[in-house]
Amino acid sequence: MSLIGDIRLVCLSDLFYLKRNILILLATSLITPVLYLVAFGWGLGSNVTMEYNGQTYSYIAYMIPGTVALTSLTAGFSTISNKLMIQRKFYESFDEMMLCPVSKTSIILGKAVLGILKSILCASIMLALGFFLTDDLLITPMLIITVLISCTVFSLLGVAAGMNVRDLPHMNAFNSFIILPMTFLCGTMFPVDKMPTVMTWVVSALPLTPASSCIRASALGASYPWMSMVLLLLWGVVFFMLGKFGLRQSD
Amino acid sequence: MSNIIEARGLTVRFGDFTAVNAIDLDIEEGIIFGFLGPNGAGKTTSVKALTTMRKPTSGTISVGGFSTSSNPADVRSMIGVVQQNNALDMDITVRENIYCRASLHKVPKPEIEARMNEICDAVGLTPYMDKLPRNLSGGWKRKTSIVCALMHNPKILFLDEPTAGLDTQSRHMLWDIIRLLNSRGITIFLTTHYMDEAESLCDRVAIISKGAITDIGSPRELCQKRGQFCVEYSSDVGKHEYRYFESHDAAREFYETVADKNAVLRGTHLEDVFLEETGRTNVKALQKALRV
Repeated sequence: MSLIGDIRLVCLSDLFYLKRNILILLATSLITPVLYLVAFGWGLGSNVTMEYNGQTYSYIAYMIPGTVALTSLTAGFSTISNKLMIQRKFYESFDEMMLCPVSKTSIILGKAVLGILKSILCASIMLALGFFLTDDLLITPMLIITVLISCTVFSLLGVAAGMNVRDLPHMNAFNSFIILPMTFLCGTMFPVDKMPTVMTWVVSALPLTPASSCIRASALGASYPWMSMVLLLLWGVVFFMLGKFGLRQSD
Repeated sequence: MSNIIEARGLTVRFGDFTAVNAIDLDIEEGIIFGFLGPNGAGKTTSVKALTTMRKPTSGTISVGGFSTSSNPADVRSMIGVVQQNNALDMDITVRENIYCRASLHKVPKPEIEARMNEICDAVGLTPYMDKLPRNLSGGWKRKTSIVCALMHNPKILFLDEPTAGLDTQSRHMLWDIIRLLNSRGITIFLTTHYMDEAESLCDRVAIISKGAITDIGSPRELCQKRGQFCVEYSSDVGKHEYRYFESHDAAREFYETVADKNAVLRGTHLEDVFLEETGRTNVKALQKALRV
């Protein structure tokens, strides 16, 4: 059977799960970005304007692409990492999958599908909300492609974490020390160059920064930051390899 | 009869700890084989190695003529595994669990429904198909796991402590299922620490203690080897003692010399053999620890 066929088989149980729990899954993933939007966009940022690509935008227009990037991270990562950890450590249903005749590549990609679908749905809702709140956003083919890539990369991050992180306390630590700081610092709500130089270098290398800058550029019609896209894709490859490494360790 | 499972010098180490120490196994096709041992003896680790879920540190394993190290895919296609904790996805229904497992084993779609209905009817699972496993009792969860493991028509079924934690009705229900599957030609490899289960079900058993096999044979052979008759009594110092005898006459003779009024003369059980091989509780140490 083809790789695509195997991926479909691997993600089947997650799709049944998504179908049964879609409303609660979407609601829980959307609450955080919506709260950020309300608190920072409408609340603190209602009278703020931002300079971006030589033009002045309302803060909400600047922030929405960042929130979409953030949503692609939180929705893709959290669903997959937690579910995979539970399937591996508690249900042990993951072991059964290892006994089935499907390739390791299809297991990694198949396990990412749930996160990709969920984060695409959440990111789409956030974009729809954004278009309702401001006239500055543009739907472009590049925006759609970038959001798809971003959702895929962060779902692969979820697979990598779910496959490699030892237990729930370590997963919580990963969330607290890596994911949460990224959501605030990686250009989602303010430009990374506002931070001290060393911090800017570090933050620029993290995967959410290129995701937000690519989504923002394509949503606000700025010139596309191709180097950022290359960096994001490189992170995707790294996460895929880390997922495979974790799978090999558990084999 | 030919061996369907063969292991030579199977060893599994975790760092400095040797979980399974150079065990040899020859399991004939079509039998129910019991792997007996106390908790932590190495049963589950052995099963994981035999089912390709864990690479052995050393030794060779052949299942159905295929090596687990060089042909794991061939081995996996001919085995079904029911793990100790069921390994079901608790967030999807029984039907979906079975469907997903069969799909992953690439059972053709038209066959899945027919086979699922046939097996579920046979084991009485049909009324529970649309329930989430987390809402089922232990016995029904275990049945679901067994159906999942049977969907790709395996030749060998590995059951890791299939009745652990189940009530008597559920245990007997599962025993009936195991006998039914065996009567249909499936070789059964089961681990257990329930001796009545092994005595009732198994054609051959191996006793594993601290990672090594201490005895192997039919339950009857093992009891005979120890002595067919047992006198169970309390010694002068209050210690519970067991003496084994080849003949009933010898056992009777000893029994009549025992001062303990509650002494019992009975046939030797597999449980006696198991406890002699794996060690009884150190009552004195326990009394000291509990200060009684």
